[in-house]
Order: sequence, then structure tokens, then C-alpha cells
Amino acid sequence: MRIDVSDLTKTYKGGARALDGLSLVVPTGMYGLLGANGAGKTTFMRILAGLLKPTSGRVVIGGHDLATAEGRLAVRRTLGYLPQDLGVYPDLSARRFLDYIALLKGLHSRSARRRRIAELLEVVALSDVADRRLKGFSGGMLRRVGIAQALLADPRLLIVDEPTTGLDPEERIRFRTLLSQLAGDRTVLLSTHIVDDVAQTCRSLAVLGHGRLAFQGTVSELVSQAHRQVWTVTTSGPAPAAGRVVSALPEGAGMRYRVVSAAPPDPYARPVEPTLEDGYLALMDGRAP
Amino acid sequence: MIASLRYEFAMQLRRPSLWIVYGLVVAVMVTVLDYWSLDLGVYEVSAPKEAMGVAAQIVVTLLPIVYGCMLADRLPRERVLRVDGILDATPSGRTARLIGKYAGVCAATAVPLAIAYFGRALLYVFVEGQPSALGWAAVTFLASILPGLVFVGALAFAGPLLLPPMVFRVLFVAYWFWGNVIPASLMPTLSHTVFSATGEYVRYGLLTPIPPGYGRASAVLDFLRPGYTPATAWLWIGVMIALAAAVLSLVRLHASRSES
Ligand SMILES: Nc1ncnc2c1ncn2[C@@H]1O[C@H](COP(=O)(O)OP(=O)(O)OP(=O)(O)O)[C@@H](O)[C@H]1O
Ligand SMILES: [Mg+2]
Repeated sequence: MRIDVSDLTKTYKGGARALDGLSLVVPTGMYGLLGANGAGKTTFMRILAGLLKPTSGRVVIGGHDLATAEGRLAVRRTLGYLPQDLGVYPDLSARRFLDYIALLKGLHSRSARRRRIAELLEVVALSDVADRRLKGFSGGMLRRVGIAQALLADPRLLIVDEPTTGLDPEERIRFRTLLSQLAGDRTVLLSTHIVDDVAQTCRSLAVLGHGRLAFQGTVSELVSQAHRQVWTVTTSGPAPAAGRVVSALPEGAGMRYRVVSAAPPDPYARPVEPTLEDGYLALMDGRAP
Repeated sequence: MIASLRYEFAMQLRRPSLWIVYGLVVAVMVTVLDYWSLDLGVYEVSAPKEAMGVAAQIVVTLLPIVYGCMLADRLPRERVLRVDGILDATPSGRTARLIGKYAGVCAATAVPLAIAYFGRALLYVFVEGQPSALGWAAVTFLASILPGLVFVGALAFAGPLLLPPMVFRVLFVAYWFWGNVIPASLMPTLSHTVFSATGEYVRYGLLTPIPPGYGRASAVLDFLRPGYTPATAWLWIGVMIALAAAVLSLVRLHASRSES
């Protein structure tokens, strides 16, 4: 399911411009969305989910125009959405909560609903606590409930807004693997701050900066933004002044710094292979001035 | 709509505070308002139709206050709990969900009230040995209590659109006494008009005789107080339902205007 976004702008009441002429094509498959805090990722996803009306611009999802009520309804029928600020009814159990959402999603057959919910509780590893009230769930457990509800109606389009925040490393890896397995013939749009999650699951991605498109392409294209710009410097003196220090590790008497910088930050700096994170930082640094 | 009705009903019914507050007010009703004796000195207590009318009159004096107050925080609940994103992203219609929620929440909030009323009717059957009281209780509840609850429910449901729930509750209690309980001669009031939710138009227009000398003193807004007849009883039922529908449409309108 392909998403076509053209010249999308969203200005909130009060004047904050969250999206500013965004044009983007999201193909079928797993797609990453990166961007700093306040870049407009959540705003973009809420518009795609039909929760927010854009100020101007056009969004077509799988041939359905979001500007029309029929278009929004058609998209909602095939949508799984996990909001960033996820909430639940504290007085319902996980199973009952999922049952309610499943009903709203039109899963009317009781037996099919039961089967689907049991299946998903298994997938998100919550079967043991399924009948406990959500009031007592930890943040990570609630996220998993959120993931389960997004998958209820077997969506063709899955929009997940920072789904891995608050998950422990094992759970995070399990979950992102699950997402990329789901992708296949679906579209999964994943926004995150964790660059590694995108590196491990997505072939292509977009980077938002201040409501505009900062980058659109494959993971390796973004990595190559940092080509010949990543260095390690081992020194017992002060940290290199040029460039952006990505990591600092104690080594012997000194420190080993990893630096993203267009020019060598130090005469003894050795070039190293960039990662996606380096590419992202190089992109951000390149845009900043 | 059915899904929201079912789940909102279940969630509201399981609120402990619902039962506690109703319990306290019913205790007041029994001890202070003659709910035990049903004898207000107007009718023979041994006549089941009249006794059930008196029981209804006592019930609607205080319990709708609890009903309204317990409803007042339900509308913004999804937003407060931040489940609105998930619900709005489903293909269910917003209007259907709103109506389902209104019906479910009102029905759940009316359950303790109905238990208090029908419990009294059962007690009456055992004490007086007149099973017909149950039939009269059902008729009186449906015709004279329910329409009032339909309207007051919509009002309290919509209240938090204008005011924070706590402020609304205070005003709601004031409204209840001013617009439904106080005598019409005291000050300009909606009491005893067709806009009052106490159901006396049905009780005196359809069910029991008008108490002698009742409502004779002239008062401001008397043009809203036609005589008690079967026609005005039906008029009152119509007014209650129309007001509820109007309030709910305003809620829906407000919601679609703030969708952005
Ligand atoms: N409801 C709102 N009203 C007014 N301004 C808003 C609202 N929501 C977001 N904004 C503004 O819009 C901009 C983009 O916000 P958005 O939440 O889309 O960013 P984000 O990329 O999701 O950030 P984060 O990574 O922190 O989740 C921000 O400047 C924010 O202050
Ligand atoms: Mg966000």
C-alpha cells in the first residue's frame, strides 16, 4: 500500500508550523521515519491516521484520498495505529480492552475475535497477564498492549509512533523483528529516535527536520552521507575541537573518540566506516549552518 | 454503537464510587424523606398505584443529583486517559460511538437508582401483599422517571464541554434544587414546569389523582405550567426527549468543530 504525500502543511492553532510543504512517497514494506524532537513525526502520522486535518496539501493512501470522508473511512478500515502517547482504560483487563477495540474495528464474530486476541496476546507475550487490569501494567507491558491492538484487524497499513521507547533491549529487538516480518506486503511506517531500529529493519527511510523533508532514500544512501567523515582519535589530551563527538571510550591512559567531521579532526585521526547513526548526524550537521 | 454501549456500561457500573455515593444518598432518603413509610399524608399507602407514585416522587427529589454528578466526568474521559487516538483511528463512526457511550453510561448510572426504586416496590409487595405494585412501579418508572433521566443524563453528559467536572457538579446540584425541587412561588424557577425533570406531569396527568390544592398559587413562568392532563403528560415526555436530542447534537457539533 503506497502513500503519496504532496506539499503537506500543518499549522496548529496558535501558529506552530509542524509540517511545512512535505512531499514524500512511502512504498510498500517497512519504512523508517527519523527526526529530532519536534520535527513533526507525530503530526505527520496523526494526519495519515486521519486524526488530524492538514492545513493544506494532499495525502493519498492506497488510492484513497484523505481529504474525503470515504477516503478516511477506507484507510481506517485497513489501518493499525499505535500512538506515541498511548493510553488505555485502567479498569479493563488486557483481554477486555483488546475485545473492545476489536469490536470497534468491526470484528463482529465473537469466536474469531477471541481467537485473534489470544493469538496476539501470545505474539506480544502477555498471555499470562491477559486477565489482569491494565492499571497494574508497566510501561513496556502497556506498549505491547498497544502493539497488539494495532494488529487486531490484520492491517495493510501499520503506523507506529515510537513503539520501542520504554521497551527493554530484548523486547525491543523482538518487537522490531516482528514489525519487519509483518512488513512483507504491508506498509509499516515506523517513527523512532533510535537510529539502530531503522538500520536493523528498514530498507528505506525519510528524515524530517523542522517539518520539512531532510532526506529520503535508502539506508545505505543515508550512511554514505557520512562517507569519509567518520574518524577515531585516540588521545590523552582534550577532546577534538572540530566535528561532533559520537562516542568516547576510555582506552589505556587516554580516550578513544569517534568523531563525525568533514575534515580530519586531528592529524592522527584514522578514518572508519560510517554507520547509519553517523549518516544521520552528518546529515543534521550538514543542514544546520 | 453497541460496542461502546456495552463497554461504557460495564466500566461505569464497576466504579466503586457510584455505589458508595448512591448508598449514602439512599440512606438519607430512607431516614429523612419518608421513603420507608411512603406516607406523605396525601394518599392511602395501601393503594399500590399511589404508593408507587409517592416512591417515584421521593426518588426523583435527590437521586438524580447523584446520577448527574456521576455522569459529569464521562465525556472527556477518553481524552484524559489518552485512548482517543486509538478509538478515533478505528473505522467506527464517531456519532455512533458518542450515542453508544451516552446510552451505556446513563444506563449504568441509572442502575442503582432503579434498584432503589424497584427494591422499594418489592418490599411493598411483601409488606402489603399487593403484587400489582410491581406492575405500577414498572409503568411509573418508564413513564415518569425515565424521560427525566434521559434529559438530565444528556445535560450532565454534556456539562464538561463548558466547565470542569467539579465546577459543573456544584452548579448541577444548584440547578437541581432550583429547577426541580423548590416551590414555584418562591422565586422564578423551572420547578413544576414541563421543563422540570421530576415527572410530575406524568404522575398527575396519567397515573394518580392530583393532590388537593396542589400547585394553585400563581407564580412567574406559569405559562410553562399547563394543567395536569394526559396530553400534557405526553407533552412532557416529548419535551424531555427533544431536549436530550438537542443537547447531544450540540455535543456532536462541538466535537466535529474541534476535530482539526
Ligand atoms: N497539539 C498541538 N498544538 C500546538 N502545537 C503542537 C501540537 N502538537 C505538536 N505541536 C508542535 O508541532 C511541532 C511538531 O510536533 P510533533 O509532535 O509532530 O514532533 P515529533 O517529531 O513527533 O517530536 P517527538 O520526537 O518529540 O515526538 C512541535 O514544534 C510541537 O511543539
Ligand atoms: Mg512524536
